Amino acid sequence: MEQAIEINALQKSYGDTPVLDNFDLSVPSGNIFGLIGPNGAGKSTLIGILTGLLDYDDGQIIIDGLPLTEENELKIKRRVASVLQPPLLFEHFTSNDFLHYICDIYEIPSEGRQPKINSLLNYLGLQEFEYAKINKLSAGSRKKLSFCAAILSKPNILFLDEPFESIDVISIGRMKTILNQLQNKGVTIIITSHILEIVENLCDDIAILHNQEIIAYLDSESRKELQKDASLSEIFESYIEIEKPQDDVLNWL
Amino acid sequence: MFRKLIYLNWSAFLARLTNFQAFLVIGYIIFLLILFSNLLGSALVIVLFDHNPAVISQLPWLTSEIHQLITLIFANVLWILHFSFTSTRLLNMPENRKLLAFGYPVKKLSWHLNLMGFLHPLNLIYNFTWLVFLLIQIKHLMYVPVVLAVVLLNYAIIYSIKHRFLKVIEKRFKLIVFSALFVIFGTIQAIAIISREFEYVVAQYLPGITTLNSYLFYTPGGLLQYTATGEYSLGVASAIYGFTALLIFLIFRDHFLKTREGLLQPIQERKIYKKNQLWHFLKKWLGLHAGKFYYYVLSHSYNRLQLLTIALIPAVYIPLLLQLNNNYYSALLIPTMLAAIPVALLAMGMANMYGYENKEFLLHRQFPSSFERQLKERFLGIIVVPLLIFYLITTAEILYLPQLGSVVGIYIANTFFFACFMLVFIWSSFYYYKKADYTSFSFKHPIISQKVTFMMVFLIFGLGYAVFAPIGNLQIYRLYVMGGLILAISVYLWRNMNVLVRAFDKHILHQVWDDAGQ
Repeated sequence: MEQAIEINALQKSYGDTPVLDNFDLSVPSGNIFGLIGPNGAGKSTLIGILTGLLDYDDGQIIIDGLPLTEENELKIKRRVASVLQPPLLFEHFTSNDFLHYICDIYEIPSEGRQPKINSLLNYLGLQEFEYAKINKLSAGSRKKLSFCAAILSKPNILFLDEPFESIDVISIGRMKTILNQLQNKGVTIIITSHILEIVENLCDDIAILHNQEIIAYLDSESRKELQKDASLSEIFESYIEIEKPQDDVLNWL
Repeated sequence: MFRKLIYLNWSAFLARLTNFQAFLVIGYIIFLLILFSNLLGSALVIVLFDHNPAVISQLPWLTSEIHQLITLIFANVLWILHFSFTSTRLLNMPENRKLLAFGYPVKKLSWHLNLMGFLHPLNLIYNFTWLVFLLIQIKHLMYVPVVLAVVLLNYAIIYSIKHRFLKVIEKRFKLIVFSALFVIFGTIQAIAIISREFEYVVAQYLPGITTLNSYLFYTPGGLLQYTATGEYSLGVASAIYGFTALLIFLIFRDHFLKTREGLLQPIQERKIYKKNQLWHFLKKWLGLHAGKFYYYVLSHSYNRLQLLTIALIPAVYIPLLLQLNNNYYSALLIPTMLAAIPVALLAMGMANMYGYENKEFLLHRQFPSSFERQLKERFLGIIVVPLLIFYLITTAEILYLPQLGSVVGIYIANTFFFACFMLVFIWSSFYYYKKADYTSFSFKHPIISQKVTFMMVFLIFGLGYAVFAPIGNLQIYRLYVMGGLILAISVYLWRNMNVLVRAFDKHILHQVWDDAGQ
């Protein structure tokens, strides 16, 4: 199967603290891929590296068939988009000006641009904020706007870091519909989330990241087998193997 | 609890200081000490100089009316300085609001924040100067409580007016700008005329000074002065004290309520911009990246005030300096002031060019467009406007002020001046990165803090003295030295242009990443 992302022996540390150590991962093309792990496992750092925000110490990364090198950097950036946590937006622009800016950067022709923007904003319930400054928007609206910007750039690979945090139920449903449509068009989607129910329902393959490495890779076949008897949450806990504290430790409460 | 609050705010302030900023803080402390000794010294000299027989014999025109006039003018100048330069907006609401979630009672927090503002060194310096200035003039001990109360009331009123004044400026910017231009220009011209022909003016208007003094007693400084020097009985003193105490109570209560409201109801106004004219204009003429940067700079009210200052200072002082008979000082000060205009514009754009957009650089970095190109476009956009002004001013100097020196001399000196500050600001961009503060509660400059501004003023005049002071035959050697240094700085800047991205990665990126909370 063709791989959208291939990572081999990746090393990344902050000072003396290793965050990713000899890290390997492959994400199949066209997959909605879930990356889960406890806080501080290195998920955001990994997304930061894959989206070109963070440097890494050693290893090899291939994204959409191109090795991540200085030479290929711009080609790769043209093919990927992301929604980070917290989302990155141009705070003093209006939603409309921001989305036009993104279109300018990605050289999307100005003809027919506005209807596309309007349809996206309407679909995600952002139409009333089209001409409001972004720094006045709520956390959920900001996240949805960042999602719109990522979609507009027509990526081959989409990184979503906690995409459903602060978002209302209706919008979550609509975002899922968009993601399914994108998958049908061959887009690979990598999602990190702590809401395991969503990951369980939306993702094809899931990897559990813990202690700087992938400790479990659950493809759709193995998931079917495992999830006969347990939820993803229970499977997750069994893999993490965190020592369970004694029940009486919080008696003072 | 109050001590813990101060400790918390102080720790938060220190934790974010880089070495460069710590250096600026030291400069700022020195500045405060100089300011304190200057204010206090001036107050003492002005009040006491007519007691000295040697001074009286040298200044035969110094009658008691003229002395009173000088004292009243000083009191009003002190009041204007107090009004203009005190820090009343140090409450750091967004950070301190979080304490409410940790059980800090809102009433206590409101009082403590106001108290913290009062204890800022600048406020203490001005209030202490007022106390000394007034207490050395009192005629009776019963005036002491009145003076104490009035100084406190003055602080409270300045705090209230300033808060509202800034809001008014924000809303009626153009009207305020033109009024300020008119009033300041007129006042300074009047002072200049009086000081040039002092004895003539004094002789002509001497009969009117008593009347003028009686009017000046109704100005803010005059009212304060009157509480120390006016003639009133114990009954009147008690009435003034009682009324002042009541006003202090009411105004401080108002401060308390406003702070409480600010803590509990952060402003969330949402404006609708159908077409953002400024952004579209800047995008058209400066491009996507430089246009965006200028849009952020010009969106900030403080920067618009700064533009006014940049235009106002030379417009007021240069005509005055041209009338000055002393060629040495006009040859030194006029070119320094003119050379400082593009430098001030440069400072506005470059002193902390990553601070306005902050974490947005992470998004810029993800764009499929070379980050180096984006930064260079921004950098060139930032210098192109000051450079245009620089050339216009240099040309105007050569054409209209030939007395300032030769064409080559002016050109080299101005270029050197500009290049030196380019160097300072490029360092500042990398070492003085600070997240811009846009909270509606604070107008503190997001890019150039008071500390940097004062340091810059020292540097501008220091460098102006080194570059423009007439030195006769040695001028040719100075031009050679400046020419050599311009070349060295240009090479350094060009090489740094090429490593902008690396410098960004090394000094800024990790701070932006932290600020973004990724």
